[in-house]
Formats: sequence, C-alpha cells, structure tokens
Amino acid sequence: MVYGNNQIWSQWTVDDIHAKADLGRYRIRGMSTHQRVTHFDDLTFLSTGLTRFPLEGYKEQCSTRVELGGLNAENPLVIETPIYITGMSWGALSANAKIALGKAASMVGTASCTGDGGMLPAEREASDKLIYQVLPSRYGANPNHMATAQAIEIVVGQGAKPGTGGLLMGVKVLDEIAESRDLPPGIDQRSPARHPDWLGPDDLAIKIEQLREATDWQVPIHVKLGACRVSDDVKLAAKAGADAIVIDSMVAGTGASAEILLDHSGIPTVPAIVLAREALREIGLYRKVSLIASGGIRNGADVAKALALGADAVAIGIAALIALNCNRDIPESDFEKEIGLPAGQCNRCHTGRCPVGIATQDPELVKRLDPDEGAERVANFLNSMTMELALLTRSLGKGDVKSLEPEDLAALTIEASVMARVPLVGTDKVFGT
Amino acid sequence: MTTRELNRRIKASIEEGADEIVIKNPSARHNIAVGVRRPCKITIEGSVGYYAASQLDGPEISIEGNAGWALGENLMSGKITLSKSAGASVAASMRGGEIFIGGNAGARAGISMKGGTLLIAGDSGFLTGFMMQKGRIIVCGDIGDAAGDSMYEGTIYVGGMVDSLGTDAKYEESTEDELIELWAELERNGVAGRPRFRKIVSQKKLYHYDTLERLERTLI
Ligand SMILES: Cc1cc2nc3c(=O)[nH]c(=O)nc-3n(C[C@H](O)[C@H](O)[C@H](O)COP(=O)(O)O)c2cc1C
Ligand code: SF4
Repeated sequence: MVYGNNQIWSQWTVDDIHAKADLGRYRIRGMSTHQRVTHFDDLTFLSTGLTRFPLEGYKEQCSTRVELGGLNAENPLVIETPIYITGMSWGALSANAKIALGKAASMVGTASCTGDGGMLPAEREASDKLIYQVLPSRYGANPNHMATAQAIEIVVGQGAKPGTGGLLMGVKVLDEIAESRDLPPGIDQRSPARHPDWLGPDDLAIKIEQLREATDWQVPIHVKLGACRVSDDVKLAAKAGADAIVIDSMVAGTGASAEILLDHSGIPTVPAIVLAREALREIGLYRKVSLIASGGIRNGADVAKALALGADAVAIGIAALIALNCNRDIPESDFEKEIGLPAGQCNRCHTGRCPVGIATQDPELVKRLDPDEGAERVANFLNSMTMELALLTRSLGKGDVKSLEPEDLAALTIEASVMARVPLVGTDKVFGT
Repeated sequence: MTTRELNRRIKASIEEGADEIVIKNPSARHNIAVGVRRPCKITIEGSVGYYAASQLDGPEISIEGNAGWALGENLMSGKITLSKSAGASVAASMRGGEIFIGGNAGARAGISMKGGTLLIAGDSGFLTGFMMQKGRIIVCGDIGDAAGDSMYEGTIYVGGMVDSLGTDAKYEESTEDELIELWAELERNGVAGRPRFRKIVSQKKLYHYDTLERLERTLI
C-alpha cells in the first residue's frame, strides 16, 4: 500500500510517523531543511562576449574587500572577502571548532561570530574580527566581552527555526557550558524566543541605541532576521537603526532545531535577498544599510549570485563545518557505530556525539579536531571560494565584486525568474512582473 | 546635551577619577548611564526612560524618580537604587549585583535573571521571574499572574499575594534563617515591615524532554 513511488506515503513519511508514535513529541535534528527549494543553482551568469570584455583571470586586479555597517559606526567592519563565518554557539560546537573557525577567519582577513552561549575567550584571541551576538537567551552576555567586539549582532530570528529560540540537548550542556550559560548541568536547554527587554520595533530602536551607547558608537549594530515576512521585517529593522541586516533563509543550518520548523517555515535565500534589497530600496537605505545573506552558501558561485542579487556579503555555517571535516571519514572516526549513519548522511549534531569533534562537548571526541589543522582547511576553503568569486567577477568584465548586479544573471527555471526577478534563459522575460 | 554626549561625559569623568557624578534634569530620557564598567558613584536626580543604568559592571547608581523598561539590564556587579517605580523587564538578564526598587515593578521583573538580587519594596507585575536561571527576586508586596513561569533555578520570595503561579513553578516555605536574612536585607534598604515571605521555586519538570528517539537512546 505504501512506499514505492507513492508521493504521499513515502518511506520517509512512514518512518517519521513510526518515530513520533514512539516519541510522543516533535523530532529534533541538526543541519538544514529537506525541502526542495529554488536556490542559486537555478541561476546562471551571463559572462562576457562581444558586448563586454572580460578581465584577465590571474593578472588583473579584482577587489573582494567590503565594508559593512558604515552608516553610524565609527569603525565599520572591513573584511577582505565578502564571506564571513556565521554565529554558531560554543556549546553547539566544541571549543576547538570555535577556535579553528576564528583562526581561519583571521588568516583570510574576515570575521567570525560568537553564538547563543556567549563569547569563548579563546575564540576572541583567535579571531581578529569578532561579531558579538545579542540573543534572546543572553546566555553568557557580558558587556566587557561586547566592548571588545568589531560588530554587534542582535538576533531576532534564525532561518532554520524562525519564531523559536536556541536548542541545546542536555548531553551538550556539560559543566563548562552549563556554567557559562548559568544553567543547571545536563538540562535540555530551550532558549527563549523573545528578547527579555524589548518586544516590538519601537523598543528595538531604543535597544539599538543602548548597544551603541554601551560600545561608544564605535562598531556596527547588525540585526539578524529569519527570512519570513522579509519586506516588512527589513524595513522595520532598518528604521529601528540597524547598520546591517542579516537575512537568514529557510535553508540555513542549525545545530539543533525541531524538524517541523526546519522544513515548514521561512522562505529560501534567493527571494529573501531580492525582497530585502527591494525593501531597503523602497525606504532609501539600499547600499546604506548593509545587507548580509545566509543560508546554503556552498561555493564562490553562490557568493557571486548572492552579491549580484543585492547582498553586500554572505555568512557561512554548514559549509565551514564541512571544511572542518563534518561528514568526512577520518581515521579516528567510525560514523556508523558512533552516530548511526554513514559519513555523508549525518545530521545528528544535536546528539553531541559528533565523530569528528566539531559538534560535541565530549573531551575524547573533541580531541579529533586539531584547531590549527582545522583552521588551515577552513582558510583554504575560504580562499578557494574567494578565488571562485573573483574568477566569475572577472569573467563578467568587472574588477570589483561590488559591481556584480542582477543584469549579470539569468534564471534557469520560471520559478527562479519570478523569485530572482531576472529573465528566464532564452527569453527576455522576467516572469511574475 | 544629547544622550551620546551625556554618556560620553559620564565615562570621561570616571576616567578622570571623579568621586561622584550627579545628573540633573534627566528628562526621563532613554539610555542614561549605559555601559559603565568601573566602580564609581552616580546619582540621577529625576525620572529616567528605558535602559537606565544598563550593561554595567561595578558602579553604584542612585536614581531619584521612576524608571522605564529594562532598568539595570544585564547588570554584572554593583548596585542600583531606584526610589520610585520601575517599568517592565527591570533587571532583565541581570547576572550579579543588587537592584533595589523603592516602589512597584512592572511586568517581567527579573526575566531571564542569571544572578544577584532584585529587591522590590512594592508589588511586581505578571511573569515576574520568567525563565529565571539563578539569583533572588524579593517582592515585599504582591505578584501578578504567572509568577516564576518556566524558571530553571533561583528563588522568588514573595511577602504578599500571588495572582497565579506560572508553568513549572511551585511554592515552598521559607526557613527561619532565610526570613531573618531577608528582614535584615529589608532593613538595610530602609524597607519597613517583616513579611513572612513564601518562596517560589522551579518544579524542574521542564528540565528534560521526556523521551528520546530510538537511535538517540543508543547515542545519548
Ligand atoms: C552548529 C550550528 C550552530 C548554530 N548556532 C547559532 C547560534 O548560536 N546563533 C545564531 O544566530 N545562529 C546559529 N546558527 C545558524 C547560523 O548562524 C546561520 O544562520 C546558518 O548556519 C547559515 O546557513 P548555512 O549553515 O547554510 O550557511 C547555527 C548553525 C549551526 C550549523
Ligand atoms: S559530522 Fe558532526 S558536525 Fe557534521 S552533521 Fe554529524 S554531528 Fe554534525
């Protein structure tokens, strides 16, 4: 009756019902959504021919440096590549992973970001440019730490679980993590969804002013939004005084989220960027308030397309973890035995049993990740992506990634044409307009 | 003077070693005395807006008037004294030090509190101690609905009536030693009376998901 090619009662659906019948609650996992969505693969670049000339790939300069949040901050965040490491909590990740990511960011002149659990001092040391998150939970929140940051990010929502707070299973809330979060050790931590001290956009404006005062107007204040009602949210955040807006889409990664939220809330990255761009343009703040996109950025083409659609920079989570060895068989690991799935299929960050020492607090597992070697791999990956981005940019005849624009793109599907607001290949038509 | 200039002046005066700073006519402005991270003494003569004396580590701040939302937010150490009443979310996510409210406090007093003591001479509003993690909230008067909702640890002491308890909260009796300590604390802060405080603490039923998936059971 079921299985086979049955669309409604697929193997996965049947397994899902069995699991919930055992469990009596929603299911939790890490990584990202299983939904099929329009993504950057549905767009292609229209490189040069006779109408425009390319730049020489290895000879002519292509600037990848960007400045973020310069609207009010005395010291905007300047990064050498428009790709930085997103906020992933020390707690979801091991200290070694946080240190490796911070070091990698410093090696390539970009930034890394704290996460829900406060600042790990060793990450501060490793990362030259650290973005400090202010989350609803305020775990480990410390004005002394915040004062050392190069940017502040108020987290309103995350794409992987918009409308809910962080989640960290008790197996990861061990002594040091519990202490830094002021929580009883071993509890299944469900962070608040709302900030404790402000509710609506009018309050947010006062909160932003407060953070500026606390940091003497030195550094930019970012606002991170889960991409849902993008247009209104972006306008409200910009009006509240954000220097930069991070739009985190439904395909964004997570250390742990209710599966139902991962798969059934938010909108994909491509339309999220376009809606955010248009919202900023409508209120006259496009390219004044910086736009940062995250969710499913995997290579230099994704970065280039995000920039062409209107983002000033992108942030990466899962891709950086994969560069650290996530889902890779390493000599010390035994994925099937240790996490119950083969390398390449793991999404079990929430269990704290990460076979490669990334998403764990178990001291023995953490040893499997050497922060220096990990940093090297992530830095290599960031450099590779940056080179890919520059290569594409030059092939479009441009010497600065900031010059990428929607006119450089065409859509491979009608849906992508509608969402990205660029013509379908083989036609002059932008569908939906 | 803009708020930015005012806070800059405060910080510069502290750098220069001023013993005491007095701010007159605060005009209920938001964000006064934010981010002072050194021991010092500041007196504010008048009412203040949102986020007064927030993000502090060390100062002793006395406010003669009322305060808007989030007074003393994220206090690390030091003492804040407010002579009259505070708006919502007083002491939100405070991690240490003391906050004394001479009048009443609004909704969500001590929300997400992580340490230190919040003493309220009057009443406090609904969701007092919401998701509180550590520390003490002492309310001499009454508390509104959903007191101590989803609190993890820490204690709410209440001298008067409680409209309702929040999810996962329960009452406990205070010991005589606790009462003696609390009364001494009231006296130190010039609060008259010796209420027989009851305690609100966590039932700890929300600490864990009840079940794990079959595969998780073998892993976790
Ligand atoms: C292991 C892990 C932990 C995360 N922790 C946080 C966090 O503490 N705060 C936050 O705002 N987002 C957190 N996120 C979400 C990321 O900041 C980001 O939005 C997402 O990873 C971007 O999508 P990508 O992974 O597809 O690049 C986390 C993501 C991962 C994978
Ligand atoms: S290998 Fe580790 S980091 Fe990667 S999905 Fe599995 S548990 Fe998470």
